[in-house]
Amino acid sequence: MKRKTLLVTGATASLAMILAACGGTDDGEGAGNEGGEDVTLGFYTDKAAWEPSFDAMNEESQKSGMTLDFTGYSDPTAFDSFIKQSFRTDSVPDLFTWHTGGQLADLVDQGLVAETTDLWAEAEANGSVPEGLIDNYTYDGKQYCVPLNVAYWPVYYNKAVFEEYDLEVPESWADLMEIAQTLVDNGEVPFHQMNIIFEFVWFQAMLAGNSPESYQGLQTGDASYTDPEVVEVMEQWKHMIDSGYFIDPGVTTDPQTLLANGDVAMAYFGTFFTGQLTDIDAKSGEDYGVFTMPNMNPDVENRQMILETGPLCVGVGSENEQAALDYSAWWMTDEAQTTWSSERGDVSFNPNADVADPELSALVEEVTGEGSNYTIQQRYLEANPLPVYTLSTEVFGDFVTNAPDPMPGLERLQAEAEAYWADQK
Amino acid sequence: MAAPTVTAPAAPVRPAPQNPTRDAYRWPARVFVLPGLLIVAVLLYLPFVWTSYLSLTEYNGLGDPEFVGLEKYQAMFADAGFATSLRNTLFWVLGTLVFPVGFGLLIAVLAHGIKGSFWYRVPFLLPYAISGVAVGVIWTFILQSGGALDEALMFLNLPGADLRWLLDAPLNTFVMIAAATWQGAGVNALLFGIGLQSIPKEPIEAARLDGASGWTLFRTMTWPMLTPLTTVVIGLSIVGSLKQFDIIWAMTKGGPGASSETLALTMYKETFVSNDYGFGAAVAVFLTVVTVAASVIYLRRQLADAKGA
Repeated sequence: MKRKTLLVTGATASLAMILAACGGTDDGEGAGNEGGEDVTLGFYTDKAAWEPSFDAMNEESQKSGMTLDFTGYSDPTAFDSFIKQSFRTDSVPDLFTWHTGGQLADLVDQGLVAETTDLWAEAEANGSVPEGLIDNYTYDGKQYCVPLNVAYWPVYYNKAVFEEYDLEVPESWADLMEIAQTLVDNGEVPFHQMNIIFEFVWFQAMLAGNSPESYQGLQTGDASYTDPEVVEVMEQWKHMIDSGYFIDPGVTTDPQTLLANGDVAMAYFGTFFTGQLTDIDAKSGEDYGVFTMPNMNPDVENRQMILETGPLCVGVGSENEQAALDYSAWWMTDEAQTTWSSERGDVSFNPNADVADPELSALVEEVTGEGSNYTIQQRYLEANPLPVYTLSTEVFGDFVTNAPDPMPGLERLQAEAEAYWADQK
Repeated sequence: MAAPTVTAPAAPVRPAPQNPTRDAYRWPARVFVLPGLLIVAVLLYLPFVWTSYLSLTEYNGLGDPEFVGLEKYQAMFADAGFATSLRNTLFWVLGTLVFPVGFGLLIAVLAHGIKGSFWYRVPFLLPYAISGVAVGVIWTFILQSGGALDEALMFLNLPGADLRWLLDAPLNTFVMIAAATWQGAGVNALLFGIGLQSIPKEPIEAARLDGASGWTLFRTMTWPMLTPLTTVVIGLSIVGSLKQFDIIWAMTKGGPGASSETLALTMYKETFVSNDYGFGAAVAVFLTVVTVAASVIYLRRQLADAKGA
């Protein structure tokens, strides 16, 4: 009898532990908020540092009965894996941030993100989105997700260093190179550069300004990494590295600190960099200014401006799917974006939103205002197929560090691109 | 000569259970072990089987994996980066065998027999309490271009201030092995210290009476008697170095380029950064096979030696 009891107890314990090990979290809560009641939306992002800005947005959105329950990841790779895995559970996120380009296409292909075509139509009718931005969110003629943010990519410069050597904001590539040489001659470091995360950015800036067609052609497989226009860019880049125009990429001090201290005179970054400079009390217009990167090739008619945009997506089948779409529509409104721009100290995708920072406001006006001669280009990271971009981090990371002969790296990239595009046919 | 007496072989006698109570509890005991076994199977073996399957598929983490046979293994062996990863992993195995184990032994031997030797080992043991990522951050501060080490070398007018510690391969791998040595030597010293304390005094004293001392005493007496512990320390070191990840991730992320990647980093980057789960799984399977094979070969050899002795 005792033995039987032990057996039964053991078996029950085993079963209980297996269930505990295998069981998911079945919260069994109500089926969301309907009928215009206040709703709390589960929101997941890899922008953990932006939590105070989202808290401020909650104060605004609560007036419309919507609050974000913020979960921020600081490791983007872990975040991406979490989002992918969540689609295999019954806890699909109501709202989450993601990436445009191929990674958004992957979610669209699997039917995991809610369509937002109607929201875009309404926003375009209201003038809440600029021309061309919609392309980043369009797959097979339909839109998915809405823009969380945009960032233009200008050059930030240290005003004190420029004043010390009597330098003016460059109008042309030749001016920029002359400034760099003057700084090097005086023992200064002209440019910031990184060999991780943003190793591709100088390639992007120079190629867009040397041959916009080649820059776009690489994104579609119509141009080759071994084309003369691309090779020319790499040779120019190598010349700049060899001439000492860039900081040692092994310096891991924050770029905003390096720029504010004058350890580098210029840093090519997205406008999110303004927020990072504000965080260390650098004053826009006093301590630093911004200018747009001149075209490397003077024969290119339009100035080129790189734009990155991050999407805010609604998970299909999430608990509050409709409410999350309502939030997305609210997010694009003028008042929401004015608050956002002010809280982030950054530009907004909505041309009607006020941009508080005078430097950025002038930049936006220059790029998108009346009579602008700028062509907006997608950032290299999002614009190119993921396998090619991933290999580029290796090739450009090595190039930034060691400035080797560029051809073997370009040939590797071209081989990867050809393999990718062959698969797409 | 008398014919040999042939006797029927004795029927094998099943030895009577020495402890009937223990036998009676055997089945219930097994039932109680079941949850543990099942948890190990579910959390360890099933994922491995799943990973092995994924290595035969094309999969980006969304939707369903598509079976492609051995394509990912072919791609893995053809990839130039894989050869670099393999080379760096080999550096790590050799480096962590020589340095953390070697220094651990040296510290333990030097501190052995000294009054309060435990306290001599404590400073070496403390880094082991720090996570690998924190160790990486500390050493990045020291080794980055213009970092603490460069500044110190310049101040002291010593050569080396212009070396790019974390940028040039394979120097970057070697300095990261140094960081791992700083972290791991203490725990090896602790283990060797325990081993030294467990060596019986008599044979050592006998050897001393025979005139052995210093290096000879260590080589002929102490070292052979430390073998069981050395087996464990070296076995752990091999496994640990084969799957080395956190220090490298914190210090170089496998770069610049892929110059300091190890197999564990390649596995992670292919899976979660490149979203090529099949390729990452193939590297994971390869790494598992290498780790298990290295452990089994080493342990079998060591245990056979111990038996032979």
